[in-house]
Amino acid sequence: MASWAFTLLAGAFLASLVAVFVWQGLPAWRQAGFGYITGKQWFYRQQIFGTLSMIYGTVAVSLVALVCAVPIGIGAALCTAEFLPPKPRLFVKVTVELLAGIPSVVYGLLGILFLRDWVYQALTPFDPLSGDTLLTAGLLVGVMILPTILSLADDALRGVPALQRQAARGLGLNRSEVVWSVVLPQAAPGIVAAVLLALGRSLGEMIAVFLVVGRQDNQWPESLASLRPLISAGQTLSSKLGGSETNIAYGDSLHWAAMVNLGLLLLAMVTVVTLLAFRLLKSDRHA
Amino acid sequence: MRKARNIAFQTLAALCAAASFGVLALILAAILFRGLPAVSWRFLTEQIRLVGADGGIFFNLVGTLILMVTALLVSSPLAIGIALTHSIYLQSAILRRRILLLLYLLNGVPSLLFGIFGFILFVKYLGWGKSWLSGGILLGMMILPTVTIALVERIASLPRAYTEAAAGLGLTAAQTIWSVILPQSLGGLVTGSLLGLARAAGETAPIMFTATIFAGAHLPDGIKESPVLSLPYHIFILAQDSFDPSVGAKVWGTAVVLLALVCGLSLIALPLRLRIHEEARNG
Amino acid sequence: MDSVPGKPQQIIEISGLQVHAGPRQILRNIKLGIPGHSAFALVGPSGAGKSTLLRCINRLVELTPGLRVSGEVRLHGRLVTGPGVDVDELRCRIGMLFQQPVVFPKSVFQNVVFGTRHHGRVHRRDWPEVAERALTEASLWNEVKDRLHEPALRLSVGQQQRLCLARAMAVDPEVILMDEPTSALDPRSTEAIEELILRLKTHRTIVVVTHNLDQARRVADWVSCLCVRDGVGEVAESGCCSDLFEKPQVGEVAAFFRSASRYAASVEGPVTPGATLE
Repeated sequence: MASWAFTLLAGAFLASLVAVFVWQGLPAWRQAGFGYITGKQWFYRQQIFGTLSMIYGTVAVSLVALVCAVPIGIGAALCTAEFLPPKPRLFVKVTVELLAGIPSVVYGLLGILFLRDWVYQALTPFDPLSGDTLLTAGLLVGVMILPTILSLADDALRGVPALQRQAARGLGLNRSEVVWSVVLPQAAPGIVAAVLLALGRSLGEMIAVFLVVGRQDNQWPESLASLRPLISAGQTLSSKLGGSETNIAYGDSLHWAAMVNLGLLLLAMVTVVTLLAFRLLKSDRHA
Repeated sequence: MRKARNIAFQTLAALCAAASFGVLALILAAILFRGLPAVSWRFLTEQIRLVGADGGIFFNLVGTLILMVTALLVSSPLAIGIALTHSIYLQSAILRRRILLLLYLLNGVPSLLFGIFGFILFVKYLGWGKSWLSGGILLGMMILPTVTIALVERIASLPRAYTEAAAGLGLTAAQTIWSVILPQSLGGLVTGSLLGLARAAGETAPIMFTATIFAGAHLPDGIKESPVLSLPYHIFILAQDSFDPSVGAKVWGTAVVLLALVCGLSLIALPLRLRIHEEARNG
Repeated sequence: MDSVPGKPQQIIEISGLQVHAGPRQILRNIKLGIPGHSAFALVGPSGAGKSTLLRCINRLVELTPGLRVSGEVRLHGRLVTGPGVDVDELRCRIGMLFQQPVVFPKSVFQNVVFGTRHHGRVHRRDWPEVAERALTEASLWNEVKDRLHEPALRLSVGQQQRLCLARAMAVDPEVILMDEPTSALDPRSTEAIEELILRLKTHRTIVVVTHNLDQARRVADWVSCLCVRDGVGEVAESGCCSDLFEKPQVGEVAAFFRSASRYAASVEGPVTPGATLE
């Protein structure tokens, strides 16, 4: 009976987490309505709460991270899963999984002391204000999610039965052709799930982003296609919520609600991504 | 043409692997290079002094260990309960999948939100203030999916013959669980817990609002208003004003200690994990 | 088989072949000659390395990590082992059929032209023709001609195996290796595959591993029996099918035939008349 109770407890924890965020965030919805999502300005002293600039920051950082990490991660997974003999493969995979465990605060530290300066120097021709940019945060998160993508994509590739490869090799296809025509199509759902889980992580990543993103409010870009805002400071949902404003806000129920709602937005984004990944994993081993 | 494409593709993949491996090795090397000189016996056993510019990280280490043990105590019973419900009691595939979904969703919740939730529930609503216990509970809930899924996979890889043999001996379901399933799947619990703790040890976001402060805490002597120091929060604060060289050395030293803790835990889990992997492949 | 002279022309020659898995030896000093335009059966107790030997011929054995192969395999007198051989080209000439049908999760048509497509020797507009020819050769055309674009996984297992055969033949190989091709099939599909072997061997060379001695007798012209000697597989005896089954010269082979026929009798009972060898 205790087992059931524990399962319910875990469910209740998740439910109450969601409930608390919804409930505590209500006043902000009442005050700002949809403007909470569509508004670009956030001035808490004037009680203006618009989060679009932060949503932009979160999406921009995650996209930069994915653009960097996905091709390299999948390429590397192809190498480990398809081309490397078992022993080196195991070595690479184990090392990479160890590195997947490096705490984000350590990545943040590396970002603050190395990456920030490198980005600043590399961007000198574009005259940036500092090395704290959305791009810096995106690169840092990209490095952070690289091991996740590599490891999960490797799992997905290894999930394709060896006989399928043998049959295709037996027809005279070379290694790359087998990968393209047999392995990748079958591993695709698992690989996409890997990318989605990594995306979920990058959307919610706070510590590392916080340290290098510049935390500049109200940085809505003039053009969404422009890359210019990427090389200036910005703010993400998580870096805002993790900052000192959270401590200030408690006590002022409207301001607090606006802060908590940042978490709710984040939760909604991550949940959608997780649900998609879970659907794709349906046919996988857990089914 | 086909050959050229084959070679080009394999080279590209190898370059990707080399790049990933290289970046990650570089990171490790940079941390060790910067941090190792700062690590010494004194560093590990002394208290923090001069706002982190001098002294050691003894109570940070202790605080992180307290949080980890609490997280372990919170997550283990829950993980066992959920894994048993999932793998043994539930017969319906749909309900099993619901539980799995619950775990995935919990796993997806950004760690910062655990912190905010804990701040509302424990710090404010229950009035604990900053307390090691709320940090431990939050970290425990955060690693729950990792632990449970490792355990579920381990139970799934047990040969069916075990449970059938036990049933054949006339054991009740409860006896089967206690005498056959749990001892046999202990490895999964240990592996999952080690991996989970490796993650918990390095998390900053769940504890920064709920359990940890930068300086001035020793051993907790209760629940209310009894925060602890911790390694990741120490790094997080020092990183923001790390231009003072003496602080710089200390922060890298702390990073090395945290990294050793985290990698140590995953390394201990490694042999067990590889064995379970093999069994899952062959079984 | 009166057309086969006393010493038929051998298109595959294996000599001094050894296979090791780590410290353990699997095959020792294999010497075999496989004549063209005939069916050659490899029989022997399980664990004797028949499948491994078969996979040495098209070098598919190299895909199993940890196996080391030494010795020579020649196709038309040209060495195909060792470095410098275009393995993929070799495998175009030596097709392979597995124990279980390995269809790709694509349509029937996509499966048949799978190899052809990648070799790029046939123009895209000729693919349907290639598919029809291969499927006809595999006696599958009539059953699937209306469902060419359905997923191949919807076919029955027997049909899937013939689809795999068609897929191999679409590449037009001279040799087809079959690794217990009927062990996963029902009697009717087994019969279909056996008929195909009889038909195909007039213009191709078939090397078939089988655990079913009656099958070997029904389809093969030549037989080689592998035996396990102190844990390692060796060729015990080879020869013309009828001679070997009637008068095995080697004691181990005779003993294997006796035990196998007893086993077959006990498993299958009297369903197949003439199942026993005596």
